[in-house]
Amino acid sequence: MNEKAQTTGHVFQVRWIPKYTFVERLLHWVHTVSFVPLVATGLVLYLDFLKPLAQGEAGEWMRLVHRLTAILFVGEPVIYGILQPRRLWMHIKEFSFERDDLGWMKNAFGYYVLGRHTDMPPQGRFNTGEKINGVVMILTWALFVGTGLIMWFGKGLVPADIFRLMVMVHDLTMIAAVCMFIVHLYLALAHPLMWAALVSMRFGYTSASYAAEHHAKWYYGPKRAQELYEAKKKAASSKH
Amino acid sequence: MAKAMLIDPSMCLFCNACSVECKQQNKVPLGKNIFLTQMVIHEEGKFPKVKQRFIKRACNHCTEAACVDVCPTGALYHHKDGYVVLDQSLCNGCGYCSQFCPFQIPQLEIIGTFSGAAKSHKCTFCAERVGQGYETSCAAACPFGAITFGDREKLLAKGKDRVKVLQVRGVKEVQLYGEKELGGLQVLYILEGKASLYGLPAEPNYPYLANIWQNLVRPLSKVALGGTILGVLAAWVVIRRNIKMEDVE
Repeated sequence: MNEKAQTTGHVFQVRWIPKYTFVERLLHWVHTVSFVPLVATGLVLYLDFLKPLAQGEAGEWMRLVHRLTAILFVGEPVIYGILQPRRLWMHIKEFSFERDDLGWMKNAFGYYVLGRHTDMPPQGRFNTGEKINGVVMILTWALFVGTGLIMWFGKGLVPADIFRLMVMVHDLTMIAAVCMFIVHLYLALAHPLMWAALVSMRFGYTSASYAAEHHAKWYYGPKRAQELYEAKKKAASSKH
Repeated sequence: MAKAMLIDPSMCLFCNACSVECKQQNKVPLGKNIFLTQMVIHEEGKFPKVKQRFIKRACNHCTEAACVDVCPTGALYHHKDGYVVLDQSLCNGCGYCSQFCPFQIPQLEIIGTFSGAAKSHKCTFCAERVGQGYETSCAAACPFGAITFGDREKLLAKGKDRVKVLQVRGVKEVQLYGEKELGGLQVLYILEGKASLYGLPAEPNYPYLANIWQNLVRPLSKVALGGTILGVLAAWVVIRRNIKMEDVE
């Protein structure tokens, strides 16, 4: 790479290709603006140094905001599913795991943490990590909504043991979702190799060379991507 | 010195003076079916052989109180004299106390189901009065001596004596309830028969889910959250050393 950059005095030429539709990006950001306040207002019950915010009138406000944003959180994927059921079905297929995901997971630590340029198996529009994020998000969403609705409207109607279980499961779900969110936030904002991800989620376009490297199966199509991957591996092994 | 109340249903005539006085003294909202203390009748047998048992239903002020442990605001806490106080100005209405109490005592006044606005109500052992050296208002109001207020040690001895007296009079299965239950209740009962006949659980248990939630899930999940944050920071430091931004396309 970078031959061009050297010849043109460090001016990058980036070819942009569309990656996310407008509605997909809207869904992503509506989810963000509902999820973040939900976590913030929930954590006041959880972290001791935020306790003053949970007490009395402040606590009542927290609970109200939690409920208002919960409506958005519950409603937004449902509305998406009603308006664009085919896209939703496509996402479910996109998020399902396959054989190549194992290869990704084997190399992920070296690639994303150590920055080693190992050849990652070709990935679709969503790579394995994004798939894991997607699946965790779908599962935690369902758990949040189920346990949350029972805690909201079922107080006194469901047996006390069920309510107690719901409180605990809601807590555990929060931990899973927030840990995933921290990793997601890090990769989007701070990881040097992932610069194009935030751009594409903001504007809907991604760099062609980024797509070729990170999402080859989507960029070239599965067959061509596999050929290129095999050729690359062969070249690498003959070099040694 | 732990304070307590001794409830002796065998002396009770169901006059309701205790609940009326309680409502007045504690300014309990009227017309909302909220009671800090409430007289309850448990009936058994078939006419004409009917027996009624009266019992004062209110917070038992457990030593191992699940409500105190699950309250996220600190509105519920143990007074140094052993009883459980509810500071309503701190309560945000989450209602965990009403759901985790093994006696189902705290009442949640739901102001708006949709908005979630609510307030918890429960007997506070007349903390203000007791703090000034008076007895609880229900004990003060009881004209028959069915409710006695005092030091827990003395009331335990008194209760045991009363059990013996009733046994001599031929009452079977009389027992003192509350001495050891849930680490010791601050409300002791003399029951003429099984606890279930009075609507009390024979062996009240600290809810196991409260235990798992507070002592296992919460500490472990703090480790998980902290670990993720530290892990991400470490990964960031490593990757910044290993990747040159000039090489990234």
